[in-house]
Amino acid sequence: MAPKLSKLVRRATFALVALAAAAVEVAARDGRTVLQSIGLAAFWVAVAVVVAWFVPTPDDPRRKPPLWVFLLLLLLAAAPFAVEPLRRKWTGDGYPLEIQMVCCLRSVGLGLAACAGWLLCLRMACVTSLFLLLFAAAMTNHPAVMAVLGLYTATGSVWLMLVYWSGLRSVFVAPDKAVTIEVQAGGERVPWLGLSVLVLLLGGAVALVVVGPKRAAFALGELMPTSGGTGETDPFARYGIGDGPEETAGDDAKAAGMGETDRMIEDNKNSLIDAVSDMYGPPHKPRKDQERMVAAGKVDVIQFHGKLPDNRRPSRDFDTARKGPKGDRKPESQKARGLFEIHGRTPLHVRLVAYQSYDPLEKRWLEARKPGRILIEPEGSDWMKPGQFKDVGWYLAGERHRLKTADMKSNLVPTPVMMTRFRINKVDRPEYFEWDYEGVLALAGRKRTPPGMVVTTDCRTLDPHRLPESAYGTAGTAGGAFPSLGEVPDAVRPEIARLAWEWAADRPHGWPQIEAVLTKLRTESVLDRDAAAPADHPAPVLWFLTESRRGPDYLFATAAALMLRTLDYPTRVCLGYYAAPEAYDPETAHTPVRASDLHFWPEVLLRDGQWLVVEPTPGYELLGPALPLSERILNALAAIAAWVWLHVVEISFLLAVLVAAWVRRRELFDALAVRLWAWFPGRTWREQVRGAVALLERRGRWAGKPRPRRQTIFSWLRGPLARPSKKDDDLDRLSRMAEWAAYAPDAPPPWSESEVLTVCQRVLGGWTLRRWRDPTTISAMGA
Amino acid sequence: MTVTQTVTDNSQPRTVPQAVHLDGLRAALNRALRGKADVVEKVLACLLARGHLLLEDLPGLGKTTLAKAVAAAVGGRFSRVQCTPDLLPGDITGFSVFNQKTREFEFLSGPVFSDVLLADEINRTTPRTQSALLEAMAERQVTVDNVRHTLTPTFFVIATQNPVEHHGTYPLTEAQLDRFAMKLSVGYPDRGDELGLLAAAVGHVSDAAGEGAVLADGELAALQERVSRVAVQPNVQAYLVDLGRATRAHPKVTLGLSPRGMLIWQRVAQAWAYLKDRSFVTPDDVQEVATPVLGVRLGLAPDAAGSVINQLLETVPVPV
Repeated sequence: MAPKLSKLVRRATFALVALAAAAVEVAARDGRTVLQSIGLAAFWVAVAVVVAWFVPTPDDPRRKPPLWVFLLLLLLAAAPFAVEPLRRKWTGDGYPLEIQMVCCLRSVGLGLAACAGWLLCLRMACVTSLFLLLFAAAMTNHPAVMAVLGLYTATGSVWLMLVYWSGLRSVFVAPDKAVTIEVQAGGERVPWLGLSVLVLLLGGAVALVVVGPKRAAFALGELMPTSGGTGETDPFARYGIGDGPEETAGDDAKAAGMGETDRMIEDNKNSLIDAVSDMYGPPHKPRKDQERMVAAGKVDVIQFHGKLPDNRRPSRDFDTARKGPKGDRKPESQKARGLFEIHGRTPLHVRLVAYQSYDPLEKRWLEARKPGRILIEPEGSDWMKPGQFKDVGWYLAGERHRLKTADMKSNLVPTPVMMTRFRINKVDRPEYFEWDYEGVLALAGRKRTPPGMVVTTDCRTLDPHRLPESAYGTAGTAGGAFPSLGEVPDAVRPEIARLAWEWAADRPHGWPQIEAVLTKLRTESVLDRDAAAPADHPAPVLWFLTESRRGPDYLFATAAALMLRTLDYPTRVCLGYYAAPEAYDPETAHTPVRASDLHFWPEVLLRDGQWLVVEPTPGYELLGPALPLSERILNALAAIAAWVWLHVVEISFLLAVLVAAWVRRRELFDALAVRLWAWFPGRTWREQVRGAVALLERRGRWAGKPRPRRQTIFSWLRGPLARPSKKDDDLDRLSRMAEWAAYAPDAPPPWSESEVLTVCQRVLGGWTLRRWRDPTTISAMGA
Repeated sequence: MTVTQTVTDNSQPRTVPQAVHLDGLRAALNRALRGKADVVEKVLACLLARGHLLLEDLPGLGKTTLAKAVAAAVGGRFSRVQCTPDLLPGDITGFSVFNQKTREFEFLSGPVFSDVLLADEINRTTPRTQSALLEAMAERQVTVDNVRHTLTPTFFVIATQNPVEHHGTYPLTEAQLDRFAMKLSVGYPDRGDELGLLAAAVGHVSDAAGEGAVLADGELAALQERVSRVAVQPNVQAYLVDLGRATRAHPKVTLGLSPRGMLIWQRVAQAWAYLKDRSFVTPDDVQEVATPVLGVRLGLAPDAAGSVINQLLETVPVPV
């Protein structure tokens, strides 16, 4: 038995941790007065002293600390996280997450010092204090931390001397007292906890090797969202290395970083590729004898004599009778990985073109008219407010996005829907902007948006489920407010209307009806970008709805828009970019949007003039409102409950099986172990007997009649044989075999190997777990 | 099957004549000491292990009777020393006297030169006299006037003593105690045994155990040699060592088990296995003889011995 740890050593350890705690407090907020920091540290040290007062000193410091020590440490580790929200609320002051984690470590260190009677705790407390002090010294060069560092060094020296002296004392102790009991490992139980930790560590190492250290580092970095930055995501975050959203763009303006520089690179090159044709295939070529006159703007005609950019070219009507893409659909080689990058929540719909009328003869959408003058008002600090956003009470908390242009082919200013204001650094006059379509912003007088430009936008979010019925306008084909948005060609109207009413007639007007149409499309049709209606088919949308039930997204959008129009909702379709959450790059914390992210979607006009994006294409989602954590949890629980209700039979069956398996886990495990033993009983008769006896021992343990440490197998198995009425020859013979197997010298046993197996099998079959448990069968083992 | 013959040799270490002799010894001792079969069995183990026996109990419980019965059954020369405070070392070992005729010193051997020596009430003599037995018990030889005299190989000391707290006693030294293999207490017999004792005494003038020797000359040595060959596997030896080291680490034990004590413990366990007709030692054998073997040599308060030994056995796990 080892002597108790010296009280001096324990106190010196406590002093080390207390000094480290003081250093951490000073470094955590170096703008604070030293006295305040020391006072705060003294508070936590006092808590630890109180805890230490109640912690007993073990007789044997080398013994493993009891479970409650770990629970206590967990409690202390959680304390800073529990205090932080209250502190932020009451004092308005707070720590960033990394400092909170260091404070957590400080509490653990103090807890370990309080439990320093156990050698393991003492050692860990010392290491923790060293880490904390080095962390504090690395974080700040405050003179107070340097002073604490000096004190720590002096105390550490004393600590080393004391520990050395304690070691000498244990050497000088009387030899007969210094000897410990050496327990043979043979009888020890399997260290499951240690094995689990080992498996976890091995798994982590394998995962690290598989995903690579860089990705693992980024994944871990995601756990520290406040490391650096402007305070945009966390008001208590600080500047530092790797400033998160403030990382610089570097020399290449197309790089992913969000550096709001003044750089506006001039580039007069026209776009080399039509992204729409690349994505969806070339449009249907009109007959040669067809002539069409398109009026180009004065500026276009006079100033740009070359090829017009994508969004300025005439005949941008969208042809839905395409033949599908041909050949290599890879976008052009480009240095930038996308057209623009998004920082903020996704999914996000960024409009490019709006379409309003559908021409059934040409099977194409005709682009919407350019809007009249929509007022863009400056708000100061380069912020611009596009028109009047009425606050009708439908909208939820705002969202901020930062979109950085990289390699735009047009002069589009990428903006999310329902935008309330936007800002481009140093672009401070409304005249610099214009509206291509309603809700599609562009840079006035420019061929293309320069790379490296960062657009900061604020937009509203909306939960359509909460929209009142009155929020939806009526298309009003017969004298309504927006007749053009309700037009459905007569050629397709009857079939579309029939389907629309079939799907949604039983739903009330408003979102339930729209949702019914969208749900039908999303669940009963398949997204297939290569599918195309036959060239001679009169109406591709009908082919999609009634025949193939598969097609590209523009057919989904067209079908949804036309059906909603037949239900009297003013609807249009838009072509734009879809920023998918799956494309999020944790390395740059941005979502790149590429030319291949082109997407079609319908939009419904609300009474306040805003367009509500709806998504009929499976696999595409909408940006919902940022719900509070409680609501997200509730939603998740509701979704789980719904899923469970859907699969109630299967889950009940599975649960019943699991419960039965859990209740009978020992019988199952025992049966499995016996089966394994039967398959691989061992090479020698000794191994066979030992294996069988181990199974019996486990049964006894599970039945609450374990073999005492001082009993041999022989005397333990003789327990049930003690009563003459229960005499069992096989068990008697097995007990003798076990004795021979364990203690007899190497010599042939007084039985044949086949006899050994037979006896073992009979005993294992006869002395089942149930029999061991039966109190009438075995009253007391080995008593 | 050839296994059968080999098996018989291994599982039954005793030959038929040896078994007869053992049964005879057992029966003779049981006749002398009624109702104390467990004590008799341990005495036999001590004898076969070439150890020396210390019988400690209250007066009149049959210690001397048992000792005399052992001496008689074993055969050979028997000596008895009644230890008194005025006994001198030379009275045990012997001494040299001057022969007037030959004008030389002649050695007159003491009672220690025998096969069985009964030292009755050994703690009534002084430690100086007690120490005369140290060399004889440990090395089976005596050195007098720088001359070494060898004792018989089967030299066996049976000492009796009254409990140490009794008046007029000198506690045995640790060195002396460590030379005994075990300490036994006879204890009071059951009521039925006492009735039988009384009934047997009616009509007998003498109370002497008048039975003849069971073992012939050399047979005890043969038995002891056979016992020494009982196998002790390394795991059982490790168990013994663990127990021995545990005695040294126990806070209530002022004097732990010595290596000599450990050797004696192993020999007694071998003898115990032999008595159980087994050719190898098991931890059960070690535990069975733990109390008498440890009780004589551990530095323990008399009333704490049982609980401490039990605690040690509970602490150290047996090898399986």
